[in-house]
Amino acid sequence: MDSYIKLVNQSQGRDRVFRATQYACALLRHLLRNHAARREVLEKLRRVESNMSSGRKLFRLGNTVSSISAVKQTMHLSDPMLQLCLTSTHLIRALYFVCDNILWAQSVGLLHSINKECWSRAASRCYLISLVLSLARDVYFFAQVTAWAAQMMEHQKKPLQPKSKAGEAACYPLLGSCIPALIYKGLKNNPPLILDALKNICDLFIPLDTLGIYETSPGMVGLCGLLSSFIGILTLLKPNLKLTP
Amino acid sequence: MDSWVRLSAQSQAKDRLFRTAQYACTLLGYTLAKGGAGGELLAKVKQLEGHLSLGRKLLRLGNSTDALEAAKRAVHLSDGVLRLCITVAHLNRAMYFACDNVLWAGRTGLLPKLDQDKWSQRSFRYYLFALILSLTRDAYEISLLMERESRAGGGAGKISGGSLPSSFQENGELLPNAVTTERAPLLGPLSALVHRRLLLLVTVLRANPPLTLDLLKNLLDIFIPLDRLGLYRTGPGFVGACGLTSSILGLLTMVYPWLKLKP
Repeated sequence: MDSYIKLVNQSQGRDRVFRATQYACALLRHLLRNHAARREVLEKLRRVESNMSSGRKLFRLGNTVSSISAVKQTMHLSDPMLQLCLTSTHLIRALYFVCDNILWAQSVGLLHSINKECWSRAASRCYLISLVLSLARDVYFFAQVTAWAAQMMEHQKKPLQPKSKAGEAACYPLLGSCIPALIYKGLKNNPPLILDALKNICDLFIPLDTLGIYETSPGMVGLCGLLSSFIGILTLLKPNLKLTP
Repeated sequence: MDSWVRLSAQSQAKDRLFRTAQYACTLLGYTLAKGGAGGELLAKVKQLEGHLSLGRKLLRLGNSTDALEAAKRAVHLSDGVLRLCITVAHLNRAMYFACDNVLWAGRTGLLPKLDQDKWSQRSFRYYLFALILSLTRDAYEISLLMERESRAGGGAGKISGGSLPSSFQENGELLPNAVTTERAPLLGPLSALVHRRLLLLVTVLRANPPLTLDLLKNLLDIFIPLDRLGLYRTGPGFVGACGLTSSILGLLTMVYPWLKLKP
């Protein structure tokens, strides 16, 4: 109960719970689409999904400021690659929130003469680019972790080398079959990296489908959104599972 | 910027911000209607207000659990009166949130046959009870502090004694505009007592900003359910102004946590 309270007291926690509900409704609607008798249930699911979506747009008002504040922090990171990836991600996310806020203003009736389709596509494009940059950061972390794992394995094999040249030659054929072991060893001790990569990959299907680049189905989009929301909730409940920085 | 980031990370803070905007829309709508503004602008303001109201109902889903947990914590308070007031206030708040969640389900279409008026009245009743209990708690805290202050100040004598010198000229004559307790004996002992108690109240409130803010907030909020339940009708303009002011006070307690009354 305390974990639940702590989760929902955070603005982000509530947003993740509503997001999970929104995509769960989308998934259920897809699964029940062929049941004519469930028309009333389908209509209720559509309304809940729409209400969650518009409510979340309301909650995201002001997130642009939070993203710009995050940019100010990531600009001081020592690693140049991380600095580039994270700073760009936050900047693109700030643009995404601006588009999202404009779409909210249009849905509420504050702005009439905007092209909703155009701004929706712009928001989806910004979201896609921010996800690609987040995945680039995951790949970078993954490369570092694999290199570290390779170094560890080299250290373990070192005592063999002075004794026999045959031992040295035996290393090279082993390296080929070592790569899966390296990947496994590297990722085994990095659950935050696995979770973050999985979350970004799941999220990627959403803008890819919206923009028509890789169309799947509303069910697939719902399932991916639901999975990534669960992972997001998990990282909030257990902060040690969140990839930093 | 850091304050904004810290504030917006809290769910409650976002709710206060949206509440401020919602009641600002109520007040603006009333002002525009009075001023004879166009129907389109009024419709936009009403639509925004409705959207904010529904959004806040969504944000409040699950708040019943929070209120019940707060009631569980309040049960362990040492002071009997505080324990009773705060626990029952939280329980009423939990019931208010439960009714509010049902209203959200009704407005979203999950419960299409729901009697929205009946549930709205119910929720405002619980809200009113919670506010009455919060005001009772404030009154109790004030009475305790006044008693402590009067004991520490040596009773009423010192307070009236303190005001004497400023009301007299150097030659001993009374200043023409002096409002002093010198006149109190002339008005009667009851007036003197009331005057002393008022001075003590002002002293206590000035020395306790969290209590003053909480009292003010609850006094402003109480007009909302009183109007909606038809017990004391004021009007949308007054309700909007009260809601807006109490929301701003609520935001102040979030930006400056030391201004929040504890427990």
